[in-house]
Amino acid sequence: MAAADSCDGISTSGGGWEKTVTLVSSDDARFEVREAAASLSQTVRRMIRAGGDGGIPLPKVDARTLSTVLEYCNKHAAVPAPAPESSSAEAAAVDLEWFDKELMHVDLATLCSLIRAADYLEVAGLLDLTCKTVADMIKSKTAEEIRQMFGIQNDFTPEEEEQLSRENAGVFE
Amino acid sequence: MATMQLDDEEFETAVGTLPELPEDVLMSIFATLEIPDLLRAGSVCSSWRSAYTCLRNLGKYKQSQTPCLLYTSQSAGENVACLFSLAENRTYKITLPEPPIRSRLLMGSSNGWLITADERSDVHLVNPITGEQIALPSVITIEHVKPIFDDGSGTIDKYELSHHTAPNILRKYVNFNKAFVFPDPSTGSYIVVLIHRPNFQLSFIRAGDDKWTWLPHGAGYCDCVYMDGLLYALKSSGEIHAFDLTSSTVTMRVVIGSTRLGICDIMYIIQAPWGDLLQVWRTVDDTEKWGVRTLRVKVYKVDVEAKGLVEINSLPNHVLFLGRNNSLCLSADGYPKLKSNHAYFTDDLDQVTTPVNNYTRDIGVWDFKNRRKKVIVSRIWSSWPCPTWITPSLMKLNLAFSK
Repeated sequence: MAAADSCDGISTSGGGWEKTVTLVSSDDARFEVREAAASLSQTVRRMIRAGGDGGIPLPKVDARTLSTVLEYCNKHAAVPAPAPESSSAEAAAVDLEWFDKELMHVDLATLCSLIRAADYLEVAGLLDLTCKTVADMIKSKTAEEIRQMFGIQNDFTPEEEEQLSRENAGVFE
Repeated sequence: MATMQLDDEEFETAVGTLPELPEDVLMSIFATLEIPDLLRAGSVCSSWRSAYTCLRNLGKYKQSQTPCLLYTSQSAGENVACLFSLAENRTYKITLPEPPIRSRLLMGSSNGWLITADERSDVHLVNPITGEQIALPSVITIEHVKPIFDDGSGTIDKYELSHHTAPNILRKYVNFNKAFVFPDPSTGSYIVVLIHRPNFQLSFIRAGDDKWTWLPHGAGYCDCVYMDGLLYALKSSGEIHAFDLTSSTVTMRVVIGSTRLGICDIMYIIQAPWGDLLQVWRTVDDTEKWGVRTLRVKVYKVDVEAKGLVEINSLPNHVLFLGRNNSLCLSADGYPKLKSNHAYFTDDLDQVTTPVNNYTRDIGVWDFKNRRKKVIVSRIWSSWPCPTWITPSLMKLNLAFSK
């Protein structure tokens, strides 16, 4: 977490000059991020275009979640697009895949917060990754097992239950 | 984009109550699930149900489905179909509508629908996932079939098949070899095609038809595929005929002529994902009394220009499904649980169209790389009705066929 005063700062990174922006979480933590990384969020990209002082406020994302989102953005924005089918492209893809896998080693509450943040911030790659992770978690589970996992109440009426049971032929419950 | 419905305090959740997921996110998650998982997820609670319904109603559920082996067993019951999922390595049991599935001839399986004939030779389409069943026009509307009525009751007692000297009595499933349901994009509906006796001829119906239409252009057909608005029918000689069923007068052209002399192979015609037509020859040893053994599977690309076949030695990143189903060639990428460069086959020999208890079905995979056969499922199925591959589908047929 780094502090910066403007949302349009200039800093050195890897020997070159890179534009940075400051993002402000719901709990007022400030993150200075390379614009290229922050722009993986379509929401942030629009706000950069709109301009403004004192950092970009993101009132729907807390610091803990935002820091993970930015970890994702920094990693994915750092990867240049090498010639397809070259060995370096393959290595980069393997590395990214490994990184994504590691990033998804979180508890379900964190994962759900990440999904909501990725949805709000419109980080398409992270949204796909988190959705796929949740999809893998609910595969082969019964409805009751899924309810327990997510702490969801079964709010169907007995009539609705009966209808569902008919529609699903009683097989896939 | 979805709006956040909860305020910031609620975002910081305690363990036990997880942040709710917006409906469009739930829809994205559900869109990647195969049907059994999708149906279960749609039964979790009303908000998940709503996302499920929305996904289905908007036509956004297009997830490809890993084929399952559909079979029956005595212990499961007369009306129960067992669905062995290759994706989950487990079996689902599904109760199907009357008449009992174990009394029906399984003629085919395409696009999630089974085509069956019951003991009266009445033909039905059944979707085992949705339980939907559609009765097709009576077999007496097939060109070669004449009903013989019982003198006393006036009900149909037998069917007479032209070119056959003795009438075929009921309970023998006299007419059918293989059947298909093909989507018909021109009407948004479906065409059902039958390969039937005598002499492995073709008849078809479109949705709304009240009788079967015979294709008098040839005989000896063994497999069909519907591609680019044309029905491609393969003969056991290797000859391929293309029919245009959309015009009022059906036209036929020969795509390639006979390519082989012997007829000891079981032949399939398939459209590859890259567009080519393939011919697959499965050679079996049928010298044993209670079953056949697959000896090898060969794949040929149909060279339409040169009117010949080109042998393909392997199918990297692809998977074949052969049997009573509409023959399939899938790209392995979308199906992580399937073995690439393999053919999954079921034994679909015609001799076994009636119950034979001792018969052992030859079901397994053919490994194109090592040129050998492997067993994938231990023998859990009854040998009759013929176990078949089915690709689960939630698809409804738009127009009912007239009975």
